[in-house]
Amino acid sequence: MEKKQMKDFMNTYSNLVQRCFNDCVTDFTSKSLLGKEEGCVMRCVDKFFKSSERIGERFQEQNAAAAQGAGPGMGR
Amino acid sequence: MSFLFGGPRPQPSSAEKIAAAEAEIEMVSNMFNQLVDTCTRKCIPSQYREADLNKGESVCLDRCVAKFFEVNVKVSEKMQGEAAQRGGAAGGGMFGS
Repeated sequence: MEKKQMKDFMNTYSNLVQRCFNDCVTDFTSKSLLGKEEGCVMRCVDKFFKSSERIGERFQEQNAAAAQGAGPGMGR
Repeated sequence: MSFLFGGPRPQPSSAEKIAAAEAEIEMVSNMFNQLVDTCTRKCIPSQYREADLNKGESVCLDRCVAKFFEVNVKVSEKMQGEAAQRGGAAGGGMFGS
């Protein structure tokens, strides 16, 4: 279980780096991150966590509703 | 995922139960990850002008989750229908019932 959590965490982390890098870093005329790129990355990460929190809430609601409608288990 | 195979059967050993529970957790967490990936891509523009979710984005995410579930149900119904048509009594398999 801990192994899976670790794997999940690393997955989320690398996906997030990939996404925020692709969306925010487009200028390769300098070697270090520009101020606006850094700001963009910070907002990107912040926003991602807020989004996944909100999605998690809705996900649980939907799951609970589905479970009530179809007995134990999920996916309906 | 015993709910897929309804009906009585010899009681599963605890090892089987654990395996089934693990499979279910795996399925749910995969689904959640897909959901986060899809809905953020569809609802969050890539400019990141602000760190907070604005009203439109929040509502979009809510609707995205609801629709994702609806599509799940529709696809599973369709696949079950198809499997029943094709397989009849013989097939069964993953979507039997």
